[in-house]
Amino acid sequence: MARVGVFVCFCGANIAGVIDVPAVVQEAKKIKEVKISIEYKYLCSDPGQQIIREAIVQNRLTSVVVAACSPRMHEKTFRKALLDAGMNPYLLEIANIREHSSWVHQKDKKAATEKASDLIRMAVAKSIANEQLHEISVPVTKRALVIGGGIAGIQAALDIADARIPVTLVEKSPSIGGRMAQLDETFPTLDCSQCILTPKMVDVASHPYIELIPYSEVIELQGYVGNYKAKIKKKASYVDFSSCTGCGACTQKCPVKVPNEFNMNIDKRKAIYTPFPQAVPNKPVIDAEHCTMLLKGKCGICAKVCEKGSINFKMVDEVIEREIGAVVIATGYDLWDPKPYEEYGVGRYKDIITSLEFERMVSASGPTNGVPVRPSDGKVPKNVVFIKCIGSRDEAKGIEYCSKICCMYTAKHAILLHHKVPDSHAYIFYMDIRAAGKGYEEFVKRAQVETAATYLRGRVSKIYKKGDKLMVRGEDAQIGQVVEVEADLVVLATAVIAPKDNPALARLLGVSYDKYGYISEAHPKLRPVETAKAGIFLAGCTQAPKDIPDTVAQASACAAKVCGLFAGDTMKKDPMISTINNEFCSGCLNCIKVCPYQAIVTEEIPLGHGSKEIRTVAKINEGVCQGCGSCVAICRSMAISLAGFTDPQIINEIVAI
Amino acid sequence: MDYSKKIQEIASKLFADNKINYFVGYKQNSFDDSQVPFLITDPAEIPKLVFTDRSVFNLANYLKPDHTKRKRVGLVVKGCDSRALNLMLTESQVKRENIYIIGICCEGVLNEKGEKAQNCVECVMPDPVVYDEMIGSPTGKREYTINADIRELATKALEERADYFESIFENCIRCNACRHSCPLCYCAKCCIDQETSTLYHGANTSSGAMHALMTWSLHLAGRCVDCRNCEKACPSHLPLHLLHKQNESVIYENFQQHLAGMEKDDRGAFYKYSLSDPDDFIL
Amino acid sequence: METEVKETQGKIFSAENPGITAPTDWQPVIMGILCNWCSYAGSDLTGTSRIQYPPNIRIIRVPCSSRVDPWFIIKSLQTTADGVLISGCHPGDCHYISGNYYARRRFLVTKKLLNFIGYHENRIQFSWVSAAEGPKFAKVVAKVTEDIKKLGPLHRYKKENF
Ligand SMILES: Cc1cc2nc3c(=O)[nH]c(=O)nc-3n(C[C@H](O)[C@H](O)[C@H](O)COP(=O)(O)OP(=O)(O)OC[C@H]3O[C@@H](n4cnc5c(N)ncnc54)[C@H](O)[C@@H]3O)c2cc1C
Ligand code: SF4
Ligand code: SF4
Ligand code: SF4
Ligand code: SF4
Ligand code: SF4
Ligand code: SF4
Repeated sequence: MARVGVFVCFCGANIAGVIDVPAVVQEAKKIKEVKISIEYKYLCSDPGQQIIREAIVQNRLTSVVVAACSPRMHEKTFRKALLDAGMNPYLLEIANIREHSSWVHQKDKKAATEKASDLIRMAVAKSIANEQLHEISVPVTKRALVIGGGIAGIQAALDIADARIPVTLVEKSPSIGGRMAQLDETFPTLDCSQCILTPKMVDVASHPYIELIPYSEVIELQGYVGNYKAKIKKKASYVDFSSCTGCGACTQKCPVKVPNEFNMNIDKRKAIYTPFPQAVPNKPVIDAEHCTMLLKGKCGICAKVCEKGSINFKMVDEVIEREIGAVVIATGYDLWDPKPYEEYGVGRYKDIITSLEFERMVSASGPTNGVPVRPSDGKVPKNVVFIKCIGSRDEAKGIEYCSKICCMYTAKHAILLHHKVPDSHAYIFYMDIRAAGKGYEEFVKRAQVETAATYLRGRVSKIYKKGDKLMVRGEDAQIGQVVEVEADLVVLATAVIAPKDNPALARLLGVSYDKYGYISEAHPKLRPVETAKAGIFLAGCTQAPKDIPDTVAQASACAAKVCGLFAGDTMKKDPMISTINNEFCSGCLNCIKVCPYQAIVTEEIPLGHGSKEIRTVAKINEGVCQGCGSCVAICRSMAISLAGFTDPQIINEIVAI
Repeated sequence: MDYSKKIQEIASKLFADNKINYFVGYKQNSFDDSQVPFLITDPAEIPKLVFTDRSVFNLANYLKPDHTKRKRVGLVVKGCDSRALNLMLTESQVKRENIYIIGICCEGVLNEKGEKAQNCVECVMPDPVVYDEMIGSPTGKREYTINADIRELATKALEERADYFESIFENCIRCNACRHSCPLCYCAKCCIDQETSTLYHGANTSSGAMHALMTWSLHLAGRCVDCRNCEKACPSHLPLHLLHKQNESVIYENFQQHLAGMEKDDRGAFYKYSLSDPDDFIL
Repeated sequence: METEVKETQGKIFSAENPGITAPTDWQPVIMGILCNWCSYAGSDLTGTSRIQYPPNIRIIRVPCSSRVDPWFIIKSLQTTADGVLISGCHPGDCHYISGNYYARRRFLVTKKLLNFIGYHENRIQFSWVSAAEGPKFAKVVAKVTEDIKKLGPLHRYKKENF
């Protein structure tokens, strides 16, 4: 026979101010199974918990009901109290009489009191069907997989590896570095991006705990936290990295010219290429879409000039498997294509460029040797108009959110322009200046003072051509007038968007993503670097637009999470998961279909007792199951039971009142 | 529609070639013109096999017991029966290689009154959707129509419907014949028989029957193929098709015109979803 | 198909239960089944924000709306409840990725089936309430309570059932 203890909390006046606690306590005493029912001012306090602990021992309770605040507040606290009294912590149920009663029925004390009694009846009834549960421990493979080698991935990999945990870093492109490698100098301090990034890239390549797999992608992930198996597709590079010295003879001699994506297609690269001089690894790859040897079987010049014989046209894609315990997603961002801004003449006027194109031009190692030029005639521009929020904060044409970095880098661009072309003038059309961050407001001020840039608050309505100039018409909201600026060059601060492969990657990894394609964090405030799937973390712009300081901070936080996960040889896991009673399972395998975590596999069991014949049934991997209950409700045979939310527990709740 | 001869020929050949251990077909009843399912292991009984518009039962139901999973079976299926077979195949209840399917291009069967049965009048797919050998000439998929009884009931006032269904549930004797006769109710231990189940203790009252039949029909929602084996088995002659057809019509109209077992890998409407499923009924 | 049936005007109580009257102080019981991550959290937020709503709902916590088997609804209507409200995460926000999409299909079919056999459709309601939508939760509960009050006590199938 069940022996239930009911403990009702006053929560100061929070509960007792509305609910007649003594009446509720008396009402609970009427329930047959309730052996003790008492009240206390603050049950979550130490003395409060002491009361619970003593009552458990004295009354040999078989389950405990705490009527107090939401279980989302103090379930852990009270479970601990049970544990300290030598009772299984999962024999606790909480009746949420604060958030669900006293706080929401302040004017109807009688109804609030009745409701509290009902909630207690339900919790008591449920607790009678509670079972003892035990934390599950699962072994862990101590290796992390980092996807994406931008500054986020680099930082996460280095921090994890420094803790002597092996890391596999998978980068899609031929080199790590990401967008940051394309930047010139960086706000808010104007350090040269290459100078602070390249040493880190080299560290990655030489770190004994980092395995760098460039030019590759993750194609499959199976398993569960601590025990994932990843398949990585290494694209054929047609260059044997082990013998190639990176001398560059091949790239010089290759006759095929292809737009250079690293330089935003401003200049050309070859079909065999190293994306940029400081690339890591500093080995070329052949772009199979453009190499005439691979396309037509003619040429092969690179193979002829390579002294090491490293070129191998027969190379094929390779699939590598790695066992890992945790994943960090760091796939960064893309930039929005401003084509919908037809009224600006995007696509028609050559001298309208994007910010990243400008960034490449002003970069000392860039395609124009650090001087901005007009794409139309190669002349150095004098009047440059920068337009912010292109696609950002624009529900009609682009996306709703603010891309966060454009205000800052546009201020930076004004400074860079001033440095490179001292007699130039910058005009900046903006909606707001958002410069929250350490040293940011100061940086924007500096741009305004140092460069005397003209900041015009308002939207640009039209751009048209007049001679070889571009006329930018917009409104200056501060003076409430239409202004027209004669520009040599127009730079659009295009919105940051999620990489287009993100949804596919998210599905493959089994994590969720938002409507824009950014990977979703488990909780926007309290779990910002975890995904909802245990053991999978996220860093950098793959989660939302952010600048380098935020990206690095998030990456280091990820590393700390990974190290925490790997701190012991096994991991503890919540026991509120599902199990299948294979006697009842009819083997329809529908549960496998609906499980969002691929937690269910098949198992062969004897057909009957002692039978040699087998039958196939479903089985849940306790390490993977997250306890959602999807499978439970779809199993017609009612073969699945979810600990903590079993059918008997829920029936009891339903019929209790 | 009389394919008796043809079926006898095929069955003989299957036995002669040692392709099957037994054969499931129909046999003429001795006392009236109805037929019963007929399971033979002895080729000598082949001449008793018949197939006409009186061959009403869904023989896929006879693949349910465990022992059939290891034997090779020849069986006759009509359009609707073959759709049930499709589901049993995807739900791993039968091994394709163990069954030899004789699919009939069905012209419709008769009800007790000798008229064309309602499900046949409304049949969407009289041709077999899975078979090894086909008899008759296929006429193809037909347009889906909402069941006549459902349409009529929908026009009735809520309370009238409630009374009507309560009287139905009142007359259920909880014999479970409906469940036993459905080829898709193959569960190792049906939820209704599980002691921990909410249904188990349900009293033999209209509410107990309501709960059981509702659960049962929801287990068949998106899976029922409208063969009406259940209805034929019900000793109380309850119009069980009402529940199934209601669910079927909701599913058809809302979930990409889903019809159970039509496609090879169909698993039923509840085991998949679409992002564009209706959402307007949710606050 | 037209399954909606107009409530008979002028009668306080239920099209389902003609002639049935209830004590004047009658209050409906609504069984609320909420998913832990969105709606339960949302209902907690209603509390922390002190937004007031009618006291008729009794809340059961489940991990995900996909845990809700249709018999939860049937059982509630047959025993303690005059109406049921099930609430989960908005489409796309499911803590368990896809749970609410499966649930949504079952909910629609279950609601229509119950309506078909004679329950007013307002007795079976669903909502998506996120963890941030404290005010929405209060609004939903108020609406559902109001709807069910109009329908009156549920009597059918309530007898001898346990
Ligand atoms: C014009 C411009 C100027 C900027 N200036 C500044 C500045 O001055 N200061 C500042 O703080 N910030 C600046 N930023 C922002 C800065 O670029 C970002 O904060 C930073 O690059 C984010 O790093 P990340 O690693 O998250 O993403 P990325 O740099 O985008 O790196 C992502 C990496 O992942 C790889 N990848 C993508 N998908 C996959 C996949 N499926 N598998 C494997 N690998 C994959 C990519 O190839 C890439 O290498 C600027 C941005 C722009 C557009
Ligand atoms: S859904 Fe149920 S019966 Fe079907 S395989 Fe899974 S556990 Fe077994
Ligand atoms: S409860 Fe079932 S569906 Fe959910 S994660 Fe566990 S096994 Fe998968
Ligand atoms: S429902 Fe269709 S296939 Fe089935 S017996 Fe009738 S006509 Fe034939
Ligand atoms: S009613 Fe449901 S549980 Fe019972 S046999 Fe049919 S499908 Fe299985
Ligand atoms: S529920 Fe009835 S009509 Fe539907 S498939 Fe089963 S036996 Fe046939
Ligand atoms: S066969 Fe008829 S009487 Fe028997 S349980 Fe089914 S519905 Fe009830």
